[in-house]
Amino acid sequence: MSGEGPVGNGPILSVDHLTVTAKGKTLLDDISLDFASNSLTAVVGPSGCGKTTLVRSLNRMTELTPGLRVKGAVNYLGQNIYDRSVNPVLVRRRIGMVFQRPTVFPNSIYENAAFGLRLVHEEEGKIDIAVRHALTRAGLWDEVKDDLERPALSLSGGQQQRLCIARALAVRPRVLLLDEPTSALDPGSTQRLEETMEHLKEEMVLVLVTHNVGQAARVSDRVAFLHTGHLVEMGETEEILERPKDPLTQQFITGRFP
Amino acid sequence: MHPVAEVVLDASAPPSEPGGRQPLPSPSSPRNGGSPSAPGSLLAWLRYTALVPALIPAGIIVAIVWTITYASRLTSLPGFFSFNWAPTSSWGIGVFVVGSFMTAVPALFFSMLVGLGLAVASTTYLPRLAASLLDPFVDLLAGIPSVIYGIWGYVVIGPYFGLTLNPWLSAHLQFLPWFHATKAAPINTLGLGLPLAIFVLTLMALPITTLLIRDSLRAVPRELWESGLALGATRWEVLRRVAFPYSRRGIMSAAFLGFGRAFGETVAVAMLIGSTAQIPPSFYGTGYTMAAAMFELIDSAYTSAQWLSVLTEMAIVLLAISLLVNVAGRRLVISLSTTEVAGV
Repeated sequence: MSGEGPVGNGPILSVDHLTVTAKGKTLLDDISLDFASNSLTAVVGPSGCGKTTLVRSLNRMTELTPGLRVKGAVNYLGQNIYDRSVNPVLVRRRIGMVFQRPTVFPNSIYENAAFGLRLVHEEEGKIDIAVRHALTRAGLWDEVKDDLERPALSLSGGQQQRLCIARALAVRPRVLLLDEPTSALDPGSTQRLEETMEHLKEEMVLVLVTHNVGQAARVSDRVAFLHTGHLVEMGETEEILERPKDPLTQQFITGRFP
Repeated sequence: MHPVAEVVLDASAPPSEPGGRQPLPSPSSPRNGGSPSAPGSLLAWLRYTALVPALIPAGIIVAIVWTITYASRLTSLPGFFSFNWAPTSSWGIGVFVVGSFMTAVPALFFSMLVGLGLAVASTTYLPRLAASLLDPFVDLLAGIPSVIYGIWGYVVIGPYFGLTLNPWLSAHLQFLPWFHATKAAPINTLGLGLPLAIFVLTLMALPITTLLIRDSLRAVPRELWESGLALGATRWEVLRRVAFPYSRRGIMSAAFLGFGRAFGETVAVAMLIGSTAQIPPSFYGTGYTMAAAMFELIDSAYTSAQWLSVLTEMAIVLLAISLLVNVAGRRLVISLSTTEVAGV
């Protein structure tokens, strides 16, 4: 994971014939796709289609679930992150992740945002700057700047989720994976988070898992539609949502899915 | 049951319009409306039975203290709060109090250390199968009667301490004054004394500390673990920076309950401490604890009013210290939780 610049003109992140199985059950079946730079790709599909498994396999979080087996490759800057020589800890520093529910740590707002930087023993002065920058990018700075020492758990759910984004951004990842980040939030907080995503996608690769077609339409540039572990189709958001080629996609986006 | 319930409903609910809809009883109506408007109703009185579970432990404590106080009639004992134990001229219980702390505090320290290790191994590092073999083994330690620990300590561990470990420690810790055995304070070959008592107490407190720490580490949400790892932390870093702070209340509780176990343990300590009314002259010396003293000197209780008093008053002191530590522990745990969530 040494090379930092893009390798040639290849995509920053791509998936190559990825198959994930758990105890004989196939969760993802031979998926291949590229995630375009400086854009947001939405992964949509009905419950159990494998969309969460897909994003979790993009930074080797799949390894935390006993019994999951991954075949194929996930290439980050041209290198397969499942290669034996690759340290998963370093992969996760470059490919950040935000979860369904806010997962702030039981300490202050500042320490939450600084968590990843403390791990690499960054200097205090640099941490200050990085924390401020990350909170600003996550759209939280103005709300918390006067009291960064407050416990993070005293924030509202939406603020906590934006803090989780800031925490992931502080280590300057090239890719941010968002696994249904608004599913536990109220409409106002959801809207703010979507605005944050719009800003972020200009400078990095965003992968958003969502079961909400409306959200995919609002924030994504490209959509990948998954069904029972298969990639049914993928393309420009407009294309997929307005002129889907596959009848399954058609059924899903019109809400006629069980 | 039905007629009684109806009486209360009628008494507490506003009168319903004839022929109109029956108003739904609000959730608070039995609580608020019950007492002034239906004083005689059976259900109103039955409400107070909810207090019984709260009263039971309080009642037990009051009963114990009252009985002990009554039995001792608080005879004034010369030199009770001194270190001079010389019945019947001086009744200082200081050596026993110090002995209790000298055994319980190190035992707690070691059992917390080992307990943390076992709990971390079982929740974080060991594969599931190995953890499922380790956990019941530790839990089983809690089910062994203390007299078994005592016999085992006396027969198996004691000679090893007396002949091998204690001389070795004494030779290697020469630079620490109290940890060096001298002619005046030699090592007894049976191994009886502080180290043996501390060792066995550590084992006896271990299941409590391990179990509580393990449970509080298991209560750390999986999402928090994954968020830490997703930020590029190792398992140890998540443990140290997220899981320990998250579960510190449980870890504190483990310490206080483990202390209670070690401080009050009687039979095993009485068998292993060497039963000498002195502050151990060296780390390898014999001593006494309050619990062990009460247990072994109970034969003398009815020989004189003073003997009866000293044993029962020692019991009050032991109980008071145990309760104080318990209450202090609770307060500390509660204060931790409020600053963590509300934050001042």
